[in-house]
Amino acid sequence: MADERRSRGGSGSKTRGNGRGGEKGGPRRGMFRRRKVCKFCADKVDYIDYKDAKMLLPFVPERAKILPRRISGVCAMHQRKLQTAIMRARQLALLPYSTD
Amino acid sequence: MSQARQYELVYIMSPDATEQDVTDLHAQVEAIIARYQGEMVRTENWGRRRLAYRIGRHREGTYVLEVFKGTGELTKELDRRLKVIDSVIRHLCVRVDEELRLAERTRARREAETQRRIARGLPVGGRPRRSDDEGGDDDQTDRAEV
Repeated sequence: MADERRSRGGSGSKTRGNGRGGEKGGPRRGMFRRRKVCKFCADKVDYIDYKDAKMLLPFVPERAKILPRRISGVCAMHQRKLQTAIMRARQLALLPYSTD
Repeated sequence: MSQARQYELVYIMSPDATEQDVTDLHAQVEAIIARYQGEMVRTENWGRRRLAYRIGRHREGTYVLEVFKGTGELTKELDRRLKVIDSVIRHLCVRVDEELRLAERTRARREAETQRRIARGLPVGGRPRRSDDEGGDDDQTDRAEV
């Protein structure tokens, strides 16, 4: 699991060719990227509460869209739970559906 | 099985509603729950909050949370009643017992894992999610790469 994710970050950028100068720089390929850890796993959150808008807020940046997990680093299980929590919070007008 | 379902009901009352209206509606909800042999667990009044978007012409509302145990018929009835009442501008009723039970189970499992690790003298914590391997010799799964 961990290996898979790392290889996706490393070689994926090489094949796509968007890492500038990543080809010739031997040991240090691409730029340094901190390995993302699921926030909920790290904090040992079992239940993502839709009533806690303050907790959900970092996952709905300015346009109020749900932050994809390739950016946030949230694991698949928690992203699914997060999604339902955000959708419920939106129904209750705790979070916006969209801004502007 | 089916009688122990726990639900969370949140409803938003219009800002014009008085304290009296809020308590009245709460009593009404309680009565409905009692009529359907439900059981009130707890209730919370979040007070007046700003809405994230406007609902109709409202920009803020009074939030009330009711947690109760009951059946599907009960929630259906509550749903129907709340839809009719004008001072309620939005409501949401969700079943929570399964999710809470699941959360409780994962918590218990983690606790057991920690206990087991302490008993065996293994490092506690480490990787948060790595339940697929059962042996004690993880932590050396990092193969050399580059």
